[in-house]
Amino acid sequence: MPTGIFLDYVDPWVNWAWLSTHIALITDALQQHLLLTAIAVAGGLALSLPMGIAAHRWPSLRNPILAVFGVVYTIPSLALFALLVPYTGLGIVTAEVGLIGYTILILVRNLLIGLESVPPEVLDAADGMGYRPTARLLRVELPLALPAIFAGVRIATVTTIGLVTITALIGLGGLGQLIDKGLIENFHTPLVVGTVLSIALALVADLALIGAQRIAIPWSRDTTG
Amino acid sequence: MEESGRAQGWIGEPTGGKEKSSMNPRLGSGRFVAALAALVFAAAACGGTGGGTTSSPSKGTLTVAGFNFPESSILAEIYGQALAHDGYTINYKLLLGTREVVAPALESGQIDLYPGYAATDLEFYNKGAGEANGDATATNAKLNSHLQPLSLVALTPSQAVDQNAFAVTKDTQTKYSLTKLSDLAPIGSKLTLGAGPECPTRPYCQPGLDKTYGIKFKAFKPLDTDGPLTRAAFKNGTIDVGLVFSSDGDLNSLGLVVLQDDKHLENADNVVPILRQAAASDEVKKVLNAIDAKLTTADLVTLNSQVSIQHQDADAVAKAWLQQHNYDS
Repeated sequence: MPTGIFLDYVDPWVNWAWLSTHIALITDALQQHLLLTAIAVAGGLALSLPMGIAAHRWPSLRNPILAVFGVVYTIPSLALFALLVPYTGLGIVTAEVGLIGYTILILVRNLLIGLESVPPEVLDAADGMGYRPTARLLRVELPLALPAIFAGVRIATVTTIGLVTITALIGLGGLGQLIDKGLIENFHTPLVVGTVLSIALALVADLALIGAQRIAIPWSRDTTG
Repeated sequence: MEESGRAQGWIGEPTGGKEKSSMNPRLGSGRFVAALAALVFAAAACGGTGGGTTSSPSKGTLTVAGFNFPESSILAEIYGQALAHDGYTINYKLLLGTREVVAPALESGQIDLYPGYAATDLEFYNKGAGEANGDATATNAKLNSHLQPLSLVALTPSQAVDQNAFAVTKDTQTKYSLTKLSDLAPIGSKLTLGAGPECPTRPYCQPGLDKTYGIKFKAFKPLDTDGPLTRAAFKNGTIDVGLVFSSDGDLNSLGLVVLQDDKHLENADNVVPILRQAAASDEVKKVLNAIDAKLTTADLVTLNSQVSIQHQDADAVAKAWLQQHNYDS
């Protein structure tokens, strides 16, 4: 065989020249990843709170709600997006329907666990003090459920940071686009940057939520999962 | 050119407008942690993306989609930039997952066109009925018969094709003076074929080479299709003929030559733009047909290697190709 025809080019783990000219691509991906995650968790929480409270107050709703979102959790993202695209388009709405749907199961479950773990004697004491049901929920039960709710938000956040990459199917994907680019082009730099940043993002988000929890509910310091 | 018409969405194109960032820190090695921290803060600091600024009256807005592989991004950019050159405002929806997502988006008008492949798209829209063959015109006509009821249309297929192909090294080509698959028939008994392990039973592979071209090989090596095993086998001389993809960007740098499929054994996966009929005005058709008339498989190999191997951006290589073909801005 003549030499020099086949190039044995070794791709470095990080190509600094490419990185320095593609900073904006990376920051856009990171920004999109943060935004998709934040909307998914906030939207999931906004929908989960009323559903969780309703399921707690009317126990006959509990199993249907968990069953429905348990099924939603199993829908393959490709099927979900293919169904939604004609109605909600190739964009953030379609992505968030999927991502929020996937967070609700986690959040509703944790909310229910939190509400169910309030000791019956505390509820008796609250009733004895004359709390009406709504006031008892807002001032006694939800505050006592906060550690479990925070734990759910932490799990949902870290899970969503991983899940955001599936929205690359509809051209979003955040850091998942960098990972895809690296895999498709056999190019280490975007693969490494996308992977390292999504791990870093999950760690930073989890630490930030722990910090927020300590400030919001200092009494729970020793019970965080 | 055409930055004016580019409405930036999300990350949008893998490429669009990112070099315009004011942040361009020189990253030295060993500063990765600092760079990461900077990125996190920069991401928080960057504002939202702005829409394009239109300087001249637009002929209308078109949304061009592409799949998540480099060739599709390049083709979408070539079509999009050529239409922008003609005065349309172009939105890009690139790096989309699969036809399962892209086809409903096209039918519902979320996107207006995407770069398709005649045989692959035919077999998608006919749900795998096996109607595609090696004749690009016939395959495209069949494709249009399935697109018509959906109010979609495939334009004239380009001669540029991304399909299964058989390659030899430049040495083998010179030794036997080969240009097309027919040339292999008299010398097949001296040569070893390498391809995926399914090749001996698939009509497009060994049985087809025998039936259509009368090539009987000395031996068959089960490897992969255009993957690392095939490359290694070419390199150490274990195989003489291997199955590859005709537009693969590695072909030139690997010293491989694709033999012309002169009897049309392979399905005609010629590049062809697929549009909503509502978007397919005579002018749009004229612009896209002019591109497809000029685009060749050799161009695809070069463009793919610029993106996949040299890691240039799809919009930049598309722009360079258009400039070579007199689409000056």
